[in-house]
Amino acid sequence: MSCTITTSSIKSPITPTWCPGCGNFMILNALQKAFVELELEEANTAIFYGIGCSGNMADFNRAYGFHSLHGRALPNAIGAKLANHNLKIIIVAGDGDFYGEGLNHFISLARGNHDVTIIVHNNSRYSLTTGQSSPTTKKGIKTKSTPMGVIEKPLNPITTALTAEASFVSRGYSTKPSQLIQLIKAGILHPGFALIDVIQLCPSFNKEENHPFFAERIYDLAETDHNSSDKMAAIIKAQETKKIPLGIFYQDKKSVPYHAQLPQIEKQSLIDQWSAEINIKTAMTKFK
Amino acid sequence: MKTKTTNQTTPFNLSWKIAGKAGEGVMVISKMVAKICKRHGLQAFNYLEYPSLIKGGHQTGQVFANNYQASCQQKSLDILVTLNKNGFKEHQDEITPETLVIYNSDAGPLDKKKYAHLTKKIIEIPFLSLTKEKTGSVNAANIAILGASAYFLGFDTEISKKIIKDEFEGKNEKIIKDDLIAFKTGFVAAKKLGQPIKKTPQLKDKQILLTGNEAVGLAAIAAGVQFYSAYPMTPATALLHYLAAQQENYPLIVKHSEDEIGAINHALGASFAGVRAMTGSSGGGFALMAESVSLASMAEIPLVILEAQRKGPASGLPTWTEQADLSFVLTAGHGDTQRVVFTPGTVAEHFELTIKAFYLAEKYQIPVFILSDKFILESHQTMIKPKLEYNHPRQSIIKSAPADNSFRRYKITKNGISPRSIPGQDHGLQLTNSYEHDEFGFATEEIKQTTSQVEKRTRKMNDLIKEIVQPYLVGPKKAEVTFVCWGSTINVVSQLICNQSLEKKKTVNVIHLPTVWPFPKKEFTKLAHKAKKLVMIEGNQSGQAERLIKQETEITFADRIHRYDGRPFYVEDLQDWLK
Repeated sequence: MSCTITTSSIKSPITPTWCPGCGNFMILNALQKAFVELELEEANTAIFYGIGCSGNMADFNRAYGFHSLHGRALPNAIGAKLANHNLKIIIVAGDGDFYGEGLNHFISLARGNHDVTIIVHNNSRYSLTTGQSSPTTKKGIKTKSTPMGVIEKPLNPITTALTAEASFVSRGYSTKPSQLIQLIKAGILHPGFALIDVIQLCPSFNKEENHPFFAERIYDLAETDHNSSDKMAAIIKAQETKKIPLGIFYQDKKSVPYHAQLPQIEKQSLIDQWSAEINIKTAMTKFK
Repeated sequence: MKTKTTNQTTPFNLSWKIAGKAGEGVMVISKMVAKICKRHGLQAFNYLEYPSLIKGGHQTGQVFANNYQASCQQKSLDILVTLNKNGFKEHQDEITPETLVIYNSDAGPLDKKKYAHLTKKIIEIPFLSLTKEKTGSVNAANIAILGASAYFLGFDTEISKKIIKDEFEGKNEKIIKDDLIAFKTGFVAAKKLGQPIKKTPQLKDKQILLTGNEAVGLAAIAAGVQFYSAYPMTPATALLHYLAAQQENYPLIVKHSEDEIGAINHALGASFAGVRAMTGSSGGGFALMAESVSLASMAEIPLVILEAQRKGPASGLPTWTEQADLSFVLTAGHGDTQRVVFTPGTVAEHFELTIKAFYLAEKYQIPVFILSDKFILESHQTMIKPKLEYNHPRQSIIKSAPADNSFRRYKITKNGISPRSIPGQDHGLQLTNSYEHDEFGFATEEIKQTTSQVEKRTRKMNDLIKEIVQPYLVGPKKAEVTFVCWGSTINVVSQLICNQSLEKKKTVNVIHLPTVWPFPKKEFTKLAHKAKKLVMIEGNQSGQAERLIKQETEITFADRIHRYDGRPFYVEDLQDWLK
């Protein structure tokens, strides 16, 4: 019987290296709390990390982990899920990582409804490389790589996920931990592609969008009459700019994940069907 | 591959070719002719040429079969079937005065005098109208061609009919019935026009007929592959198709990925989770995978990669062959990336080395390449039927981890191989890391840890090199010229040597390199030093393998033969060169 993750078991011996006041601390805590509250099995939980400040979380969790390349955590995670769908799979990525370098993976794999939970640390900056603009930086913002201001309009992760057929689309905020824990838990329990876009404070490179900035804009979708099973309503909500809705925009309650549509792993996971002994007679039929 | 020339029976061979437009069923007929030869117990080789389009263009299939060694196509033809007049022009160099040309007279009237300088043996059969008359449609016209060919080559009719039934098994009965009628129609039409030019002997059939791609796929199954992810690209696509079809027979998932970057990373994720995984592409697609080759090496994740070369650079000649990705594959991946590069020659060697690739990948936790090319990956070749049962136990994976959570994924060991845990194993927690890492997998920038991990990974190669397939000599021990080749070229050079030995000539031998990395310095040097005159033969312009050999051994060559027009080498070209 595998051990259940506990508050102490999940802590790695390494102290986080993030800047003081970084939203990543709150996200790490929320993630660990969600694991503990869901009583996930230590051996059957695997976390895939991209590259960036967010990905550096790899060293701060004591878990099965895969610290991948920039933008590639998602395809790695999906390969692992297909190999062993009994694993609970979490992806920790940043906005540059997931909405920039890995955008094709995001859009293509969302359509497949792979059963993974993605937590995107969205601080609208490339912070580990000292603060260039990211795909979610607002138009006009001046950064080191865009001294005359960003010309592009920002990518809207929620709309993108919705139109790419993601079956669970939500937004959290690093400074609202209790809601974030609930969103991560709901994402993990959702049988399909679950995106949790997390607005994250970056006190080093995004000083303007600080807590007071967000505090006067955010509101909780759960406190409105928003129907999260209505995709069109979700798309409209996702377009809001003056206020920032948090919570579950959309969840397909009838979601059937990718692996559940593969007959060859209907009864047993791929890894559980491993055998050292193989007979190639059938594979050779056409060559006779 | 050892050339067998001790066959006591009288040498028999046949060389048959069909030319037509894409969409006229040229390829399927060519494969069927090769298969009929195989069922007669002959060795057979089926070489296909086609342009990068779906309908039209000029497409050919050609079969060389014999009872001694058929490892490549033969230029001079016994029979050329041409579905239009284009075939005369395109293949005039392959027509000899002895060649029988079968012209599809539905393509228009033919002025035979115009081609009399090539051959006087031209017959005309209206395959389309005859087939339509007998079956009501032209769909089976290519099978009528097969019937005519079977007559002139003296094939056993029952074997031919069985091949038709096997080929179209699962299709509706009307199709098979029409095919058998069409076969007879072609056969009878041919009989009215002349005598058979060959009497194909019947020997015991101990072989299978398959392409290089299929051999790689079959071997992957034998080696226990459970995950293959790829994005279609000629000439690696057929491996994707073959394995995709095997999903219903084996515990295997084949993922048509969003792009090549996704393909290699899906495979790495699956491998991390413990299943044997593979990806494949051609040069352009593989270029996109390069950063993740580096990841596989650094994080020590087993992976097998088929790199199916075609004529580059860039989009190049998509459906033609070349051997010009060698330098790229040897260095792809940033940093000191570790890898193994196999360059199999025959279809049988593709089978053998793919099995080995999976074993080495898992044991040494390293990316292993099968570097091949369009020529052999898309050609059918016979090989001795392999055994059916395989047993490939786990390598370097722990059975259980210590309960005190002291497991170290990247433990510093003497031979460089660290124990590997896979998710799901209790107490086996580990961080597979693309960053330099400590023994647990946590990122480090510390000097001593960095150095010891770099050196640990490097040390793996010391034992690994003992397990690679060494270069070997084909042909007589002593020769005037010793060719050196890698990959598919051995098929042509060893055919030349075999043909020479039939004529009691012993002027040529060849050193074949089935492994190019780690480079087998010792064995290659030993073989090369015995050579009188070393000549490098490779299918690229820049002499990539020659450069590698010089870099690794300082051995230089007296001469070199390069081909870079998308076509494979021909025995006849090498004979001309030797003169």
